[in-house]
Amino acid sequence: MGESKQQKKGGFLNALKGVLYGMASHGNVTAALRTRMHMEHLFMFITLGDMLGIPVLPPYYSLRILPYAVPNIESWKQRVFRERDFTDAIY
Amino acid sequence: MSSPALFVLLALVAYGIAYFAYGKWFDRNVWKPDPKRTTPAHMYTDGVEYFPVTKYVLWGYQFKSVAALGPILGPYIAINYGWAPALAWIILGNFFIGWLQDYGSIMLSIRNQGRSFGPITYEFTGHAGRNTLLGFILFYLLIISATFIYFIALFWHIFPSTFAATVGIILVGVLAGQLLYKVRANVVMTTLLALVLIALVIWAAAAFPFLQTPQGAWPPNPAQGVSAGGIAGEWSLLVWGLIACVILYLASVLPLPQFIQPINYVSFFPTFLAVILILIGALVSGFTGVRLEQPAWVAFNPGGNSPMWPLMFVAIACGSISGWHSLVSSSSTAKQLDVETDAHPVGAGAMLSEGLLALASLAAYMIIPREQLTGSVGAWVAGAIKFTAPFLGGEAATGFLRAYFGVVLILYALTVQALVTRFWRLVSTEVFQGPLSVLGQKHVATFIGLLVPLAFAATGSWNNLWLYFGGSNQLLAGLALMLITIHLARTKAPTIYTLIPATFMIVTTISAIAWQVVKVYLPAFLGTTPTLVQFPFNQYPAFARAMDGIFVLVGVALFILGLVMAFRTYSAYAAAGRPPGAAPRVSMGDD
Repeated sequence: MGESKQQKKGGFLNALKGVLYGMASHGNVTAALRTRMHMEHLFMFITLGDMLGIPVLPPYYSLRILPYAVPNIESWKQRVFRERDFTDAIY
Repeated sequence: MSSPALFVLLALVAYGIAYFAYGKWFDRNVWKPDPKRTTPAHMYTDGVEYFPVTKYVLWGYQFKSVAALGPILGPYIAINYGWAPALAWIILGNFFIGWLQDYGSIMLSIRNQGRSFGPITYEFTGHAGRNTLLGFILFYLLIISATFIYFIALFWHIFPSTFAATVGIILVGVLAGQLLYKVRANVVMTTLLALVLIALVIWAAAAFPFLQTPQGAWPPNPAQGVSAGGIAGEWSLLVWGLIACVILYLASVLPLPQFIQPINYVSFFPTFLAVILILIGALVSGFTGVRLEQPAWVAFNPGGNSPMWPLMFVAIACGSISGWHSLVSSSSTAKQLDVETDAHPVGAGAMLSEGLLALASLAAYMIIPREQLTGSVGAWVAGAIKFTAPFLGGEAATGFLRAYFGVVLILYALTVQALVTRFWRLVSTEVFQGPLSVLGQKHVATFIGLLVPLAFAATGSWNNLWLYFGGSNQLLAGLALMLITIHLARTKAPTIYTLIPATFMIVTTISAIAWQVVKVYLPAFLGTTPTLVQFPFNQYPAFARAMDGIFVLVGVALFILGLVMAFRTYSAYAAAGRPPGAAPRVSMGDD
């Protein structure tokens, strides 16, 4: 008998807590979750998009920076593929 | 019968019958919710948009999302016809239409994979239907914004202590946000600190004259001469509106946790407390000696140009039925419903609770003498004080209560308008593509979404703007009911219980918008009646004429888009191919 009263009291308090949380914070919580969702979407698109069969964003950004990169490509290739050893680290 | 308590009790009984008797019967015969059927919250659980929460949380969320200025200020216009018709519409509208729409919107969404109204409209009425709805919502948002910006400005003006209180509460909200998100302070302690600070801010705004804004005319009546003074004299409406727009701009472009989210959070407590206090005040009015001052009946067409049908039915925006609720129900609530049987307490329960708020607000106007009521929509504050002062400190507390209830009105308008401005920005990004994509840019969209409504607010008359807002809002509700009806027809369930309310709402709201265009704005534009543009802008006849013309165009756009949307939904209903009211041939199921 006492136990069921306890449960009822707990149930009522939980309901009250739920209503208060729903009114005061639930909208904010879901908004925060959605904000994180959008950030995660961007992260996945940009970093793994092409690997996941969405070849849109990485090539898009590549194309956007291509005009700025073209003048440097030749010299960049030379630098990257040049043989290096520890003696190159000496002034 | 001399106090409003009896009418509030009568409505409570009516709402009880609507919820328990009609609601249960409706469930048994129409929706047939099944607690064993998997809801989208379980089917598509992602922990972000789709996840189950209890009906208590959802009821709280739904009520908070739908209860705002609509049910508080709408009865102010409705009481012009007498309190009896307004009371009848609040009770009957909720009983036969309001809760069916909110509940039906949730059920419609959960029976369609938790999708919101855009995709459902696309499925039922096609690409053109969805675009029409989008266009309609754009105009709807502009009108809501104009109305709410006007009210924020108006309340700052007529309640001198509320501007300092509003700024103080905004600062408290920002401080609470910093404590919660940067310092990681305890939520309960931060909340308590914020509430103490809010109480202090309101008390200070009421107690210290230097925190109260000087009063000027609003806008002054040219017939009585120009009384300059106050904030920028006769331009005060525009100045207050601009200040409101600056705050709303920040709310729209700043990250949610930095500004509007904590402000919303700390604002919830005083605003909800006000609702509770008014309800208590109305219920105990028989003991506190508060008496009815308004007549039960005035006239069907007081003033000769505002017939009860259709205008009163759109004036009580949200108090009886509201299209905004269908957007809330289908965008968030339906995605988080644990079991189907929770839809009834959440949807119907929240709507009927809002009906109660409308009723308490109507009661607050009922106890104000007619001569005090005329011309001041802020009379709600006077009614609220009259209701609550007897048990909150009497005459000594009047100054504090005036500042408190006044700032509550502003917070309702400000927090909802911040949401609307942000929503406008997001919709603009979707709408304006290609060469117009600059209009969807964050700052540009926000600027347009505030500038146009500010122009409307600063020049237009509030009650005509309100009727446009009510018309478009209730029309959206009618369209939502039609979408629900189409789904019911497709699933071979009885449709007559939603088809008749939908038809009534669509016919009423389209008529109301047409009336506003043809009988109010068009004569002003053509010069057969005085311009509706307010002083001081009416001193520039060409500009005033142009603004009257723009209001005509807005009304025509709402009318045409609403009519096209209605036609598409009725066509889709006809295509579903069932006569209304026939007995269901098969049991309900998913599409």
